[in-house]
Amino acid sequence: MTTLKTKDKTVLRSLGLGGYFGGGAEGMVDVKNGKIVRVRPMRYGWKYKKEEIRQWKMERDGKTLEPTWKSLPGPFSLGYKKRVYSPNRVPFPMKRIDWDPNGERNPQNRGKSKFVRISWDEAAELISGEIKRVHKEYGYNAILMQGDGHGECKTINTPHGHPGVLLEYLGGFTLQVRNPDSWEGWYWGAKHVWGQGAQGIMYPAANIVKDTIDHADMVLFWGCDPETTPWGFTGQFASRLCYFLTEVGIQQVYVCPDCNYGAAIHADKWIPVLPNTDAALQLAIIYMWLTEGTYNKEYVETHTVGLDKVADYVLGKEDSVPKTPEWASPKCGVPVWTIKALAREFAEKTTSIAHYFGGGFIRGPFSHEPARLECIMLGMQGLGGPGVHQHQWTYFGLPRAEGLAGTFFWNPEIEEQLALPVLSAVSAWQNQVIPKTLIQNAFLTDEPITFRGTGAQNALVHDQFIEYTYPIEKEKEGVEIHMIWSDCPCRITCWNYGHETEVAMRSPQVECFVAQHPWFENDCVYADIVLPANTYMEIDDIITNIRQGTMQPNIMIAEKAIEPVGESKSDAECVREVAKKFDGMLEEMTGGKTTADLQKAVWGHMGGEKLVSWEQLNEKSYWIYPTAEDWADDPPGFRNFYEDPEKYPLSTPTGKLEFYSQALAEAYPDDKERGPIPRWIEKSHNHDERLSSHRAKMYPLLIMSNHGRWRVHAQCDDITWTREVETCKVVGPDGYKYEPCWMHPSEAEKRGIKDGDIVKVYNERGIVLAGAYVTERVRPGVAYVDHGARHDPIKTGEIERGGAINTITPGAITSENCVGQIGGGYLVEVQKVSGEEMDTWRREHPEAFERKYDPAAGLRVEAWLADRGEE
Amino acid sequence: MKVFVLDLSICNGCYCCQIACKDEHVGNDWTPYAKPQPDTGQFWIGLTEKVRGHVPQVKVSYLPQLCHHCDEAPCIEQCEAEAIYKRDDGLVIINPEKCVGCKLCADTCPHDAIFFNEELNLAQKCTGCSHLLDNDPEEWSVPRCVDQCPTEALRFGEEEDFADFIAEAEPFRPEAKTKSRIYYKGLPKKFIAGTLYEPNIEEVIIGATCTLKDLESGAEFTETTNNFGDFWLKELPDDRTFTLTIEKDGYSKVVEGLTTDIDRGLGDIPMAMKS
Repeated sequence: MTTLKTKDKTVLRSLGLGGYFGGGAEGMVDVKNGKIVRVRPMRYGWKYKKEEIRQWKMERDGKTLEPTWKSLPGPFSLGYKKRVYSPNRVPFPMKRIDWDPNGERNPQNRGKSKFVRISWDEAAELISGEIKRVHKEYGYNAILMQGDGHGECKTINTPHGHPGVLLEYLGGFTLQVRNPDSWEGWYWGAKHVWGQGAQGIMYPAANIVKDTIDHADMVLFWGCDPETTPWGFTGQFASRLCYFLTEVGIQQVYVCPDCNYGAAIHADKWIPVLPNTDAALQLAIIYMWLTEGTYNKEYVETHTVGLDKVADYVLGKEDSVPKTPEWASPKCGVPVWTIKALAREFAEKTTSIAHYFGGGFIRGPFSHEPARLECIMLGMQGLGGPGVHQHQWTYFGLPRAEGLAGTFFWNPEIEEQLALPVLSAVSAWQNQVIPKTLIQNAFLTDEPITFRGTGAQNALVHDQFIEYTYPIEKEKEGVEIHMIWSDCPCRITCWNYGHETEVAMRSPQVECFVAQHPWFENDCVYADIVLPANTYMEIDDIITNIRQGTMQPNIMIAEKAIEPVGESKSDAECVREVAKKFDGMLEEMTGGKTTADLQKAVWGHMGGEKLVSWEQLNEKSYWIYPTAEDWADDPPGFRNFYEDPEKYPLSTPTGKLEFYSQALAEAYPDDKERGPIPRWIEKSHNHDERLSSHRAKMYPLLIMSNHGRWRVHAQCDDITWTREVETCKVVGPDGYKYEPCWMHPSEAEKRGIKDGDIVKVYNERGIVLAGAYVTERVRPGVAYVDHGARHDPIKTGEIERGGAINTITPGAITSENCVGQIGGGYLVEVQKVSGEEMDTWRREHPEAFERKYDPAAGLRVEAWLADRGEE
Repeated sequence: MKVFVLDLSICNGCYCCQIACKDEHVGNDWTPYAKPQPDTGQFWIGLTEKVRGHVPQVKVSYLPQLCHHCDEAPCIEQCEAEAIYKRDDGLVIINPEKCVGCKLCADTCPHDAIFFNEELNLAQKCTGCSHLLDNDPEEWSVPRCVDQCPTEALRFGEEEDFADFIAEAEPFRPEAKTKSRIYYKGLPKKFIAGTLYEPNIEEVIIGATCTLKDLESGAEFTETTNNFGDFWLKELPDDRTFTLTIEKDGYSKVVEGLTTDIDRGLGDIPMAMKS
């Protein structure tokens, strides 16, 4: 038999979808005849022997945990070929058919009218012409750049922020500031208890994995799914770590409304709490500890300030309402006896709390309250002591690699074309900025927008005490936005109150909306011009897999796997096409450097010459960092502070854990939502989303929404192979694959809903269709729909078919002085969609039902092309 | 001779085996091993999942299934085109160039592991990725589904290397009598679980003895409630009827007629001990 050729070549990739600098979930991509033939885990031993690499090891009870000698990518990473060759790829530059920059712009038809094919040159001409016109007519700050969020792992061709390089060189722009959308509560709350941390998350966090394995008896997975969220960043090592806990007898307790994928296989105990009511449960635990004296009094005395004020509130001295388990139980839905048992177990056992961003705990209204109460609970049990930590499960706290430097975006030595795109995603570096959560208000009201703190990821605590206004003063070039350039067109499905965003995008104030993206999805349908960006498979790059908790940090040269699909170009190249229309700009932006120059430069910024020769890196395509020999000596988490708080103070004003924040008390004396101590907030002028609300008579269910298991936020909702999994999509009787809405059988029965029915999830903010998934995996009182499903409007601003649940989240921010978003814990009702109702919609919105649709992959770009793209 | 072994106690349900199989076989033509797999609807290795129990005692179990590469394979016997054969390494292959699309094999496979490709008029199934094992042995010693398994729940190799596993393997569809080359451990067994509490003082009851008795067979299963008042009686036989007796400090409670046709989360169970 002749030998069958299984591939022509193998190239390396980071298959994670976290983006920015750094990656994880590495993979090997085999190519044959110019096509991707397979995507598979990376074998670290491809070009190195195991004995050449110093690895780490952790032990307990004679059992050993080690990094695997192969990467552990998740399902959408292995299925990414389908994403690359998706029928929904933007094939060529597109222009909305009835958008005429020299005549009628028809903003009211955004999301309705179709597109025609244009050439790259026409697209660049149109965009540069609009930039010049807007600059002349209004000033440079009239252009909003949306260039942030997660995406493919690339360094030279990062998926976000490149338009900001050009716009910066043209004078500046209005920057959309990405809020800490997956960890709001810690950013707005925990920072005021334990200081800056890592954007609010407990930091330093070195070696907390080892210390927890060494010392903990119990880990509370609180509103966290280690079998879901890590997949998008580094893959499945988190899963192995959970199995190891089981093996060595560390008890795993899950506190979450849903029996999530981690709880379903790892939990020794599942405590189903109602969404966004964790604060009540936490207060009752603190009540138990105060009344039973079961907390670390010595530590509280020397390491914290303000327990007396917290105690006054918890014990009811402040408001005559003791926060007893009996008080908490009806609010949080956890039985009194279980609250007491949890409080005692937590006090008695050495306990860490684990999260992995997202989930039901940290994204609800007033999320800073549960975040701060968590810090207080950990503080009362001796935070930083053996086995007492806050985890983002594996994201922080794995052993230190030797020689690890970073491509840090604030490193002034790094080429601006590499640094500025990422800077726009993490920092409010422009003069005129607007938080991502408030973008729609820029178009829906004429009032200036004020906010306290920009919400930028790398902003310091102090920023939360600064008041900003959009637009800034006229004399500082302040002006309203009239044009948008977005390379992260998923605002509708990933941020707050998407329905309102859709309406905002139709505002005549937006004279030109450019979207640049590999796939025609979500906000793209509201654009005037769409540029075809390409995927990581289609470009040369260099990737530094060093962040986010990779178990085996490495650097890799990513050789182009395939030629660009259609007329697509990399995100950096898309912007350069426009830059060519400005004299000398291309040279100014790139400094004449080639991709090869930049690859070598990045290696240099990593301190490459001390690690591996440029020649070896190129020859082998990758290099693996050895584990530092003395890694185990790194003090775990807050250990130094634990041992000597005077010598190693926190970055808080007092240097201690501030259970009471004097800074908040002084800055915001009238803040009823985020006071100086955390409280249970029943409702406020911003949010009325509790079961006690009169609204709950109409909308009696609380929404639980996680980061989806089968996608990363909005990424990967079109992979045909994941869409076959029963928890990914529910096939409706009409053949459409709906986003699942999990409901407990008792709630479904009350409403006459059966598994597989088309249901509508709704409140005053709109309607989202979903497929009923009736299951014991969610508690009564809850409707569970993950965010990020692909937007498919039946009626823009009102009725959503694709299941983008964030179209109906509250529009209001986390609380008055915190520009965070709400991603769960709000009121809805769910009803079966009757045939009559569906027929009415079909009659009233025929175009929505005529769009080309393929259940396997979902919507296709042809649905939006007039005459298949020919004008 | 090769075998597949599956330890379901560490299957996390990521579906990566199913997806890696599709990545290898959808859109790729590995004739004479296999023609392309249709994009959707076929699962040469396929996961099924089962939600077990009731709030708040719930578990999910996952079951990957694939061709059993039987030593006494009915498909080989049935095939009139002589398209199906067993290799020296034990893998069973449908030769796509000989298959005439009669569907007999798909209809008779007791493991439901053979699919029919209407477009190509072919019967298709797991090939053990033998195209990789044969043609690129330096790179490949296991099929794609095994290569990617993040927890090593799914493994592949020489029968003698897995002798210990095979000795402990649990019977899986023994009635098929096909001499399967797939071995399972950790197949889900029924459970009955609950949380015990004292209703007057609203405290969980710790250290209560919970005994399940099968009156017919006399079999007994016992657990003690933990610090959450929880008991999990696991590894129960299917389709039996049990009586649960809970005892603590002279107080007791009896729940009758608990059947193990399904897994049962009994929720919160009051047992009055104080007045």
